[in-house]
Amino acid sequence: MREIFSISGIDIFQRDFNQIMIRGNEHDQLNQIVNKEISLNLPNKNLQVINNDNILIAKHSFDQWNLIYLKDQYHKDALNLVSNLNSNDQILASDYSHGQVYFDISGEKKNYYLNKLTHFDLRLKKFPVNTMAQTLIARIDCSIYHLKERYIVTCNKSFEDYFIQRLTDSINL
Amino acid sequence: MTASNNNKNSCVTDSNKVSFTFDGKKYFGFDGDTIASALLRNNIKIIGRSFKYHRPRGIYTCGIEEPNALVQVLSESNEPNTRATVKKIYSGINVLSQNRWPSLKNDFGYVNNLLSPLFSAGFYYKTFMGPKGFWKNIYEPLIRRTAGLGKPPKEFRSKSIHNHHNVDIVIVGAGLAGLLAASKFIDSEYDVILLEQDNMLGGSLNSSQKIKTIENLETREWLKKIENLIKKSKNIKIFKNTLATSYNQTNHIIALEDNSVGKPLASHKPELILHKIRTKHTILSNGHIERLISFRNNDLPGVMLAGSFEKYIFRYGVIPETEPIIFTNNSSTFSLLKSLIDLGCKPKAYIDVRDESLIDKKTKNILETNKIPFYFSSEVEGCDGSQMLETISIRNKEMQIKKIKGSMLCISGGINPDVHLFTQSKGLIKWDEKYLTFRPETAFQNTITIGSANGNFNFNKIIEEINEKLSLFKLKELKIDLESDCPEDLNIVELWETISEKKSFWSKSFIDIQNDVTTKDLRQAVTEGFDRIEHLKRFTTNSMGTDQGKISSINSLGIVSKILKKNISEVGTTIYRPPYAPLSFSAIAGRSTYEFYDPTRKTSIHSWHVKNRAIFEDVGQWKRPWYFKKNNKENMYEAVQRESKELRNAAGILDGSTLGKIEIKGKDALEFVNLIYTNAFTKMKPMTARYALMLGEDGMIKDDGIVCKINDQHFIVTTTTGGAAKVLSDMEEYAQTEWPHLNVYLNSITEQFSTFNISGPKSRAIMRKVFSNIDFSNEKFPFMSFKKVNYLDTQVRILRASFTGELGYEVYISPKYGLELWEKFFRYGENLGLIPYGTETMHLLRAEKGYIVVGQDTDGTVTPLDLNLNWMIGKNKKDFIGKRSLSRSDTSRKGRKQLVGILAVDKSKIIEEGQHVVEKSSIPAKIKFPIKYLGHITSSYHSPTLNYYVAMAMIEGGNELIGKKFYVTQNKSLENINVEIVKPIFLDPENKRLLS
Amino acid sequence: MLVINCPYCGERDQSEFSNGGEAHVARPENPETLNDKKWSEYVFIRLNPKGIFKERWVHTHGCRKWFNAVRNTSTDEILKTYKINEKPPSVAEFDTTIKTPSGEPDLGSGNFTVKK
Repeated sequence: MREIFSISGIDIFQRDFNQIMIRGNEHDQLNQIVNKEISLNLPNKNLQVINNDNILIAKHSFDQWNLIYLKDQYHKDALNLVSNLNSNDQILASDYSHGQVYFDISGEKKNYYLNKLTHFDLRLKKFPVNTMAQTLIARIDCSIYHLKERYIVTCNKSFEDYFIQRLTDSINL
Repeated sequence: MTASNNNKNSCVTDSNKVSFTFDGKKYFGFDGDTIASALLRNNIKIIGRSFKYHRPRGIYTCGIEEPNALVQVLSESNEPNTRATVKKIYSGINVLSQNRWPSLKNDFGYVNNLLSPLFSAGFYYKTFMGPKGFWKNIYEPLIRRTAGLGKPPKEFRSKSIHNHHNVDIVIVGAGLAGLLAASKFIDSEYDVILLEQDNMLGGSLNSSQKIKTIENLETREWLKKIENLIKKSKNIKIFKNTLATSYNQTNHIIALEDNSVGKPLASHKPELILHKIRTKHTILSNGHIERLISFRNNDLPGVMLAGSFEKYIFRYGVIPETEPIIFTNNSSTFSLLKSLIDLGCKPKAYIDVRDESLIDKKTKNILETNKIPFYFSSEVEGCDGSQMLETISIRNKEMQIKKIKGSMLCISGGINPDVHLFTQSKGLIKWDEKYLTFRPETAFQNTITIGSANGNFNFNKIIEEINEKLSLFKLKELKIDLESDCPEDLNIVELWETISEKKSFWSKSFIDIQNDVTTKDLRQAVTEGFDRIEHLKRFTTNSMGTDQGKISSINSLGIVSKILKKNISEVGTTIYRPPYAPLSFSAIAGRSTYEFYDPTRKTSIHSWHVKNRAIFEDVGQWKRPWYFKKNNKENMYEAVQRESKELRNAAGILDGSTLGKIEIKGKDALEFVNLIYTNAFTKMKPMTARYALMLGEDGMIKDDGIVCKINDQHFIVTTTTGGAAKVLSDMEEYAQTEWPHLNVYLNSITEQFSTFNISGPKSRAIMRKVFSNIDFSNEKFPFMSFKKVNYLDTQVRILRASFTGELGYEVYISPKYGLELWEKFFRYGENLGLIPYGTETMHLLRAEKGYIVVGQDTDGTVTPLDLNLNWMIGKNKKDFIGKRSLSRSDTSRKGRKQLVGILAVDKSKIIEEGQHVVEKSSIPAKIKFPIKYLGHITSSYHSPTLNYYVAMAMIEGGNELIGKKFYVTQNKSLENINVEIVKPIFLDPENKRLLS
Repeated sequence: MLVINCPYCGERDQSEFSNGGEAHVARPENPETLNDKKWSEYVFIRLNPKGIFKERWVHTHGCRKWFNAVRNTSTDEILKTYKINEKPPSVAEFDTTIKTPSGEPDLGSGNFTVKK
């Protein structure tokens, strides 16, 4: 966990999460495997997020789910799940753990600062808790997961320096 | 006859004196003054010289519509064309007048006025025709010196940011209508943004005394009250100093906030904020703009719009002239008349085109009681003065001319609802015969227009209008009493221009004051056939200045309609385009400049590259090492030659993490890959790899890469760095739209792996040291096979492949361990001669082997057959993307360009990339006939191993020309280089090194 | 900048999408059986009507899913979006009178801003 910014109204921490991208169409079959491993059900609705303290699962679209371990150092578990899922020919699971970076953003001014970087409608009535969105932030592809009073924002690792600079810049200016 | 201050009831108080500089001289104004109001306070009425004729010009208006008073702000990086009527002063601001030399009073360019017959409509197109070369060398520099506005700033100055908003309602303009509308939304469920261009709310409530009380409160008291109420409401945001400049499709509004109004620029804060607002409904309450009347010399300093004159009195507390003359064709000037009398000033004369019967009682009363000379059914024929307005000629009812002296003339030619934003939103406007103006008619988007922006000039009807138009929002009804002291309704008669009696070069009746377009120019343009309004606009440059003809464009329609004997609605308006007013490029750029010009991607090894003197190349958004400087003295050529040589002698390692990688899985993965790529994959063994081509449906090469087969249901493919996103999206397209029946899933795994390419004769030895438990022998680890091996607590994929023609391996590892493994390679490999190399060396080495680079040797018009890559086409496959196109008549014809190798006959010659391959040994100094061209050089490098240049070219019918001699042109010489066409492979044609 | 209703993600800004040209142009099942002319019609020829047009869009910077949209090319309004596997709506569902925002005639353009 690394503090990027912490001033009044906004706190940004970089986290060392692990992530699996799951593709497949057989919801029940998938759900069985996932449920056995992590005892959470796959969300049914597009853009829905289901989470407990350790894990978050989000449905990105009809054949794609993302699973994020919300605690650091779960890579072994992630790799196990990936290989479990991949034993099924009709499921593709890719380990996204270290190819992505994770930011935990909270504070009452988070929307104000983020809207300097994205057109996305972050108002609670349009982006409620326990939903997610894939959109552009600072002109790069990001996913935002809305958990209670905080966002988890992920983007490709190659953008890490750029993205942190843009976040910092938007708060400074 | 001078200016005086209105200390009684204006928005600017004299509590704080502010010093400023104009044309090198120091003056004082008050806190809150604009440059214009401060200059008027100091009795300065000449502000600049005009665009074409260099005539002296003054302040014409009191706001954003100003055509004349443009200045250069020296203290803000020389910002040109700043509206003096908008820009607020602050202590130390340094302002310069524009377009004059050597000084405002004695301007050399004034000679243009005498030459004015030359400068009439379309003069650029007619006058500066020839002879050849004159435009570039004589005409253009001349015109640029004498015509024009301010000088461009020397540096890129401002810092701006963008800010996005998503709301339900945007209200543009916080005048009376806007504020009343906003007050309806207080504490409602709607998110509202209220935009106001001024630094205070109130609009015309601040600039006139037309409304005396609202809710029984004095207007200023009421403004304070309503602002506080709106501020307290959590759902409404007020943006002051924010001008709505564009109203785009789907209720998208761009508004520019000036963050440094009335204060010097702060270096650490953004000066401009561009608000991008997406809303559900837009309420336009952006008011109206007064228009001028054309008469002889209507541009003289001293002529000002009547409404603006009144605004100076109340908004800025300066009475520009205590005894002005008023000239009008409508009833709106009553307010000015009354205000002047209330302040103890007496207008010198009142000239009204309207017949006495049309003039309201109040106006007549005030004129008579105060003994103001008035002229009904009369008009201003013209005015005269050497630098400033001195005398005014009145043509009365009996067509007699009477001259009176005066230094300021307040004119009003009517009122236009500001329909600019409404028409930008694609709303339709309609000519109103009663008010003689265009009014919003049919909205195209969710747009509501209220108040004078809607052509409602009657204050008493505004509450009713707002309640009715906002009824769809189900808000509480407004019940507010307004007490107004002006004629109920606007009364106006048509008058666009008055006929001039006097004819001289000096006598001009202007329609576009900024661009120096006269009413005569309009006539001439119509005579010459430019009778469509859009043509006429371009030909005369009417309303094409920075003010976009805000005070005059409707007048020009009026004049043209008279010439054409048509109704104005038949003439039509020109199209209003964004922005509403000029905005700085920096505002548009926002933070997408310098370091944030484009997002940058870095690999996990980036810090190592920086430490080891890598020079980077931008490939897409990636920063890739281009070459590594051994020391600071080494140049690029030397570095690349050294890297290439050392790699072929020992080993080199390239950071290939940027290569696109896609994981493909599913029951039908094999069929999918067979359809996407040209090659045949069915018989391919698991854990082997193949170099593969991807075509478009037109048969042209789109991308190449390596396809690794884990099993028939699972593949991993690589793409070029630049093509990664496109390839994945194309694959997704086919999977989702053409072959949804195939069970196949795709994930980009570009970012999940750091990729290293190790190649060179020593690479096997190095791999053995790094991965000691793996058998790297030719038998166990043959060319184009791969393995998955455990490494620390992760897994590594190793692929034996090569793009250099040497023995080589590609290593894929989680980016978490990337840098660690990279450094390990050097720990084990350095004494075996391992060096890092960059993309340029990679390109050189592959060219020696004749390997192509998609996008360099191909350009979207090249098929695999053109490259002699027939062996890569799975001929027995029923179908793949582009297969059918390979037998189209065009792709299978003879004489297509084909890839060949090129070697200079004299091996010491340098062949340049991009040069033409021709038949002749030299190029004539003067080319009279086209020179036959066979093709061009696509790649050329000096090979350090062979010690001469090796090049590739795309040549018409190249395959048949092997062994023939041609010529290659040179950049700096007319002599061509004699070359031989060879097969495009220069080194190790037997692949001994590759398979060693 | 348009707002486009992605059938999977809801209303989003146009900057997240890419246009994919005319919709419902199926790739021929047996390209080899087509003559050059027929094949080139599939590869190169697309409609470009003024008025109602069915076209493909992809939510590039979102869910990466392709979908179809009905757009009025003369007013740039997106009238409907629907999933790839959904039946295309009939043109009759939409007001087919071509009305441009500025009230131009059906064909060509002209300065008829205020004529109706």
